[in-house]
Order: sequence, then structure tokens, then C-alpha cells
Amino acid sequence: MRFIELLSTYGDMYVEAAFATWWMTAVSFIGAMILGLMVTVMRVCPIKPLRVVGDFYVQVFRNIPGISMLILVAYALPYLGLVLDWVPCVLVSAILICSAFASENFMSGINTVGVGQIEAARSLGLTFTQMMRLVIIPQALRSVVPPMTNLLIATMLTTAIASQVPVTPPELTGVVSYINTRMPYGVLAFIVPAATYLCTSLLIGYVGNKIDQRVRILR
Amino acid sequence: MTEQIPAVEFRHVDKHFGKLHVLRDINLSIMPGEVVVVIGPSGSGKSTLCRTVNRLETIDSGEIYIHGELLPEEGKALAAMRSKVGMVFQSFNLFAHKTVLDNVTMGPTQVLGVKKKEAEEQAMALLARVGVADQAKKVPAQLSGGQQQRVAIARSLAMRPEVMLFDEPTSALDPEMINEVLDVIVELAREGMTMMVVTHEMGFARRVADRVLFMADGVILEEATPDEFFSNPKTDRAREFLDSIAGH
Repeated sequence: MRFIELLSTYGDMYVEAAFATWWMTAVSFIGAMILGLMVTVMRVCPIKPLRVVGDFYVQVFRNIPGISMLILVAYALPYLGLVLDWVPCVLVSAILICSAFASENFMSGINTVGVGQIEAARSLGLTFTQMMRLVIIPQALRSVVPPMTNLLIATMLTTAIASQVPVTPPELTGVVSYINTRMPYGVLAFIVPAATYLCTSLLIGYVGNKIDQRVRILR
Repeated sequence: MTEQIPAVEFRHVDKHFGKLHVLRDINLSIMPGEVVVVIGPSGSGKSTLCRTVNRLETIDSGEIYIHGELLPEEGKALAAMRSKVGMVFQSFNLFAHKTVLDNVTMGPTQVLGVKKKEAEEQAMALLARVGVADQAKKVPAQLSGGQQQRVAIARSLAMRPEVMLFDEPTSALDPEMINEVLDVIVELAREGMTMMVVTHEMGFARRVADRVLFMADGVILEEATPDEFFSNPKTDRAREFLDSIAGH
């Protein structure tokens, strides 16, 4: 059987590729959450120029295809004197794009808090920073678990842009090209990566649901 | 006799919402310990008036003084001033992700720097005073509206405010819960708290007010003791308003 032969030849590479996808997803997602939160704080802060910059950031980076972003980071940044290794290029691209979407999710989370609680916080004499830290962000975080679960899956799929640059070891999409340039397995080589993406997504969805049920705010 | 400094003073305050002139040349002094009740038809500017005192609404011109100090425009100075002015809202506005106890301790611990244990003891005493001590570990959504509003009052009191503002505190409540909240406010008034109360509850206004203000179209049309105002309103607008309420 050709599939058994494929697994016995490239099984180890698939495992490595899965781990490469997983860790790139984790790093990109954490980076996107941190950057997205920072951008969101800018977008709601009392200083107008910061709000404008924050909004502009989101409009720019959620409208660039991942692959274009990677080309810009990998081939345009060197003209500005910034040369990154291939893996950092992938991570930076994924973080920039996913942080824009993360910020949109956070904004919708903030909107669920409601102006009344914000006024109550201000009336107590909380500063802007205290209000964000104690009242708004904790509630925004808890109400954005479902969209952030989706974003984590999207981030994982975005890391497939790494297949377009020489990354060692290749991740799940890159490994398919790697195998098919050596042996003509065709679509067969996609089966393991597809199943891995699918199982990871299902797991993320399941865990996300559990977290959502636990932290959801009663209203 | 030395002249007392007003707890809250408006001097020539004006405010517009776009073309709408919501506050017109407001001049008003609320003395320490005084309870001023503001009534009037909806859209008269009474809530706006109340909300300008801690600058939840900005003003276009004029000045507002709290205990003789000009209300700061922004930043830490404004936050510090707000911490001395308690505010109770129509829709309670409790922090939905915090327990009742944490709602009450947040201000003292974060703004006044009170130790957590001390703040909790104080909060439990306040919750007992407003009759919801047994709900301390619940989150707001598990409480009735009346209970939530009493927690909101306790949250404000925990800051040891010099002035309390009530912006239609019972308008969002089911009828059977109105009195439990009003009783708490009446009790506060008896203890000498300086208060500005916007309300539609005329019986309560009569009971609690030292002075009633009647507002319409952004103007304070009448200022009188409750007895004077309710038995003998001077303006047609006030008479119409009282008649329209009595018709219910």
C-alpha cells in the first residue's frame, strides 16, 4: 500500500511537522493576543492620536493576505535594514495579522461591558488604567473566548505560510511540498496534515468551549 | 455666624447636546447635610444636571464647585474628586464579573489604599446596613434589582463620600422593590448625608427632601420646600406636571 509506504518513509517528518505547526501556532497566538490587547488599549484610551494609530493598525493588518505579509516581511524589511531569519519572518507575519483580528475581538468584548459599568468605575475615582485593568479587560477577556477560539484555529492555518519559505523542519503544509518534490504521492501526502489540522481544530474547539462555560459572566 | 461653604455649587452652568440646550444658566447651591430632590418631566435636564456634578457629563460654560474647589477637568485630580462624590445609577451598574463583596471593596482598596481585610469588614458592615449581607458571595446577576441597587448604594458609601448623587435610583425597579431602596436612601438622609436625588417618586420626594427643584427645558423653574411645592406650585409647568402624575 502506497499510504503505508508513505508513512513508513516520512512518518517521523510528519510528527516533526506537526510539532512545528503547533509551536508556531502557540507563539504566534500568544504574540497576537499581547499585541492585540495593546492595540485595543490604544483604541479606547483617552488620547486621540493613539486611538487613530490603533484603528489604522487594525485596518492595515486585517486587510493583508498572510502570504503577502510574509513576502513583505521577508523581502521588503531587509531594504529597511531589518533581516530576519525565516522562522521569525513567519511568526512576525502571523502575529501582525492575527493581532489585528484579536483587537477586533477584544473591541467587541469591551462593548459587552457597557457604558454603565464604565461610568460606575469612573465615579468611584478609578483612573483609566485601573478601570481597564480591574473592570474592562477582565470582562472583555471572559466574553471573547468563543471568537478567540476561532482565531486560534485561524492562526494555526496562517502558519501554513511557512511552506513558502525554507523552514527546517517544514511544518504541516510545507512537508507536503517537501515529500511531493521527492516522490509522486500527490494528494495522498496531504492526508496526514489534513487530519492533523482537523484534529487540532476539534481539540481547540472543545477546550475553548469548556473554558467559555467556566468563565462566562452571568448577566 | 460664619458663612458655610456649599457642598455643591453651580455657577452659570450651560450645556448643549448638539442644538438642544439642556442646561440653561444653572445657579444652585447645595449645603452640607442638605437633601435636594430634582423632579421634572423627562427631557428636562435633571439627570444631566446630576451627572455634571462628577463630570460624567461635561459642561460648556460656567463652573461647578465641590466644597469650594473647582471641579477638575480631567486626569488624576478629577478621579480624586470623583472618589469623594458617590453616584447611584438608574441601572445599578454593578461590576458583573465581581462578587457583591468585591464590588464594594474595589473602591476603598484601589482608590483609598485601604487594606483588603479592613475593606472587607467595612463592606460587610455596609452590606448589613442595606440588608444584603447574606448575598455577599454572589455575583450581581444572581440578585434582584432592588438588592442590586442596595449593593450599588453600599459600594458608593464604602468610599465615605461627602456628597451622594442618585440618578433615578428606582426607575428601573419592579414596583415591589422600590420601597426597599427608598428606605435606605431615607435612612441616609436622616443621618445627615448631603444628597442630590433625581426621582419620579413624589411621595418619597416629599418625605426626604429639604428642598425640591422643579426643572423643565433645562431651567430650574421652582425651588421650594416640599410642602410649599406640592401644595402650592407657582408655575403652570409645575402644576401641569403634578396634575399629569396625579392622574395615574
